[in-house]
Amino acid sequence: MPVTLVDRLPLPNLKVYTTGSVCLLSIAVYYALSVTSDPNWRVNATLQRQGAMVEEGDVKMVPPTQVIPANGTRNYTDQFIDVMSFMMQEPLCMWTLVNLAYCFLTLFGFLLQRVVFGVLRVSEAQRVKDKFWNYLFYKFIFVFGVINVQYMDEVMLWCSWFTLIGFLHIFGQLCRDRYEYLSSSPNASRWAHVRLICLLAGILVASVALMGVAIKWGIPAGRDTFAFMAAEVRIIESPLYLCFFFNVSITDIRFNNICSVGVQSVSLIVELLHVVHMVVYSNMLVSMASLVLLMQLRHLLHELQARVRRHRLYTSLATHMSQNYPMASKEEVEKNQDNCAICWEPMKEARKLPCSHLFHKMTKQIYNAKVDGCRSRRRPRHTFHDQIDQIIYKQVHQMFPQYSLGVLAADIASTRSADLTLENILEGRLAVVPPPTPLPLAEPSPMGMRFSKSATERQVSLQRRKDMLIANARKRYLEKMGSEAAGQADLDAPTTSAHS
Amino acid sequence: MAGSALRRLMAEYKQLTLNPPEGILAGPINEENFFEWEALITGPEGTCFEGGIFPAKLIFPPDYPLSPPKMQFICEMFHPNIYADGRVCISILHAPGDDPMGYESSAERWSPVQSVEKILLSVVSMLAEPNDESGANVDAAKMWREDREQFNKIAERLVRRTLGLPPP
Repeated sequence: MPVTLVDRLPLPNLKVYTTGSVCLLSIAVYYALSVTSDPNWRVNATLQRQGAMVEEGDVKMVPPTQVIPANGTRNYTDQFIDVMSFMMQEPLCMWTLVNLAYCFLTLFGFLLQRVVFGVLRVSEAQRVKDKFWNYLFYKFIFVFGVINVQYMDEVMLWCSWFTLIGFLHIFGQLCRDRYEYLSSSPNASRWAHVRLICLLAGILVASVALMGVAIKWGIPAGRDTFAFMAAEVRIIESPLYLCFFFNVSITDIRFNNICSVGVQSVSLIVELLHVVHMVVYSNMLVSMASLVLLMQLRHLLHELQARVRRHRLYTSLATHMSQNYPMASKEEVEKNQDNCAICWEPMKEARKLPCSHLFHKMTKQIYNAKVDGCRSRRRPRHTFHDQIDQIIYKQVHQMFPQYSLGVLAADIASTRSADLTLENILEGRLAVVPPPTPLPLAEPSPMGMRFSKSATERQVSLQRRKDMLIANARKRYLEKMGSEAAGQADLDAPTTSAHS
Repeated sequence: MAGSALRRLMAEYKQLTLNPPEGILAGPINEENFFEWEALITGPEGTCFEGGIFPAKLIFPPDYPLSPPKMQFICEMFHPNIYADGRVCISILHAPGDDPMGYESSAERWSPVQSVEKILLSVVSMLAEPNDESGANVDAAKMWREDREQFNKIAERLVRRTLGLPPP
C-alpha cells in the first residue's frame, strides 16, 4: 500500500510545522494590518476588484462614499474586525488561517495523546500511521473521484468535515489498541483506565455532535450528501465496542456478546452500504475510483461473512453447551474444592459433565480468545475448516478434560463430527485416559518463598533466585570436579550473567 | 482477549514461585510483558547434562492456555530434540493436529490443562532421555546413537559454558 512510500516523504516534525504556521500567520496579520491601516482600504479593495472587472473604469467615478475619521478615533475592536474581514477576503490570508486551524488541531491531538496515552508504543504508532494514510487515501478518492467537487468552498467544507471525523477515528483506534494493551498488562494502573474512559466519553459526545451537524446541514444539501455524511456514524463503533468491554464483568455474558457483535456488524453493514452508494452515485463503473471502491467492497463482504460465521459457530456451541450440560447446583460447586482446570480460577458457576466433573462456565474471555485466535490468522496454512476443527477439539476437550486431546482428535477425525464424538463419549465408547487432576493453587511454602504484590519486588526476587541457582550449581559442579580444577576455574570464572 | 491468559499466567507464576520444582526457575523476563518468560533448567542428575543451568525463553500466545507456548533455549545446545536455533521439539508443546514431524505420539499433546511446570518437567526428562527418532538435530541424534562418548564430551563443554566456566 502507499504507506511505505509515504514514510519517505520529508514531512516536517511538529515543532517546525508550528513555527512555520505561526510565522506565516504573523506575516499575514502584518500584511492585513498594513493594508487596513489605510482608512479607505475597503474602497481601495472594491476599486481594485472593479478595476479588474472593468478594465477601463474611471477611478474618479467612484468617490469615497464615507470618509472614515483619522486613526486615533478607531478603537481596537474595529481594527480587529477590519483585519479579520480583510483576511477572510484575501485568498492567501485565508489559506494561512486554514493552515493555522490544522496546526491547532494537530497540537490539540498531540496534547491529548500526551495526557491520555503518554508515549505511544511502536505498534500503536504504526497502526495510527497506517490508519491515517488509508483514511486520507479513501477520502481523497471520495472527494475528487466520487462527488467530484467543483468549487473551492465545497472542497473546504468536505475537508473540514473529514478532518474532524478522521481525528475521532484515530483516537478511537488508539483507545482500542491501548485498552487491549492494558488488559494484557498486569501492572496497569486504575488511573490509566479512568483517562481512557474519559477520552472515550469525549469521543462519544463529539460523535453525537457531528451527527447533529450532519442532520442540520446535510439534509438541506440533498439526500445524497446527507447519506454520505451520515455514513460516518461508524466513528462511534470503537467507543461503543469498548464500552461493552468495560462492562464485561457486570453485564450478562450472552447479552454482552450480542451487543458487541451487533455493533460491529452494524458498522460493517453501514460501511458496505456507504461504498455501494458511492459506486452508484459516481455512476461510472470504469474508473480508477470505482476500481478501488469495488476492491473495498469485496474486502467488506468477506469481513461480514466471516463475522456472521463466527457468530453462528459461537451460538451453536453455546446452545449445545447449555442444552447438554446442566449448570451445577450451588452445593455441588461449594463441595468441589478445585479450581477450574483451564483458567485456574475458583468457580462461582460451573457446568456439570456426565462424568460428574465440574467445569467453569464457558467464559466470555475464553470465547474471545478463540475468536481472536482465528482472526489473527497465526496459522495461515490452516483452512477455515481446520480452524473449526481446532475449536471443536478444544470445546470437546473442555467439556471432557479426562480425554486427552489426542484421543479426541483421533475420534473426531474418524467421525468428522463433534456431535458423533460427543455421543461416543457419552455412551462410553471412547477409552478414558485418567483425568489430569488440576493443580491446586499453592499455599505459601515453609521454605520462606513469597509472592510479592509489587512487580519490581517480584522481578528482583526472581533475579536473585536465578543468580543463586547458577551460583549453587557452579559451586556443586566445582566441588565435584575436585579442588584442583576448582582452584583454576575460580580465577577465570565471571561471577554474574553466566547464561547470557 | 488476553485478560484470561494474563490471569492464568499470573497464577502459574505464583505457583512456580511458591512451590518451585527442584532445579527449575521460571518467570517473566520483564513484568511489562507477561507473555515472555525466561526459565532456568538444571540438567538432570546422572545424565551428561548434569549440573548445567540451561536458560530458555518461553513465548506465550494471547490465547494461552488454549494454544501452547513456544520454547527456545537461549544458550548453545546439542541435543537430538533441540533445533540448532534452540527451539525445542517436544510433543507437549504441539497442539493436537499440528505435528511437524508426523510421528509424535498423540497422548502427550498440549491441552489447556497442561501448564508451564509440566512443560519444564517434560523438558527435563527430554534432556535425560533424548528421543533419537525425532530429527530436530540430526547430527546430535546420530552421535547420540553411535558415538556416545563424543556426545558426552560436547555436553560437558556446554554444561561448563552455561556455568560460566572455561572449557576443560
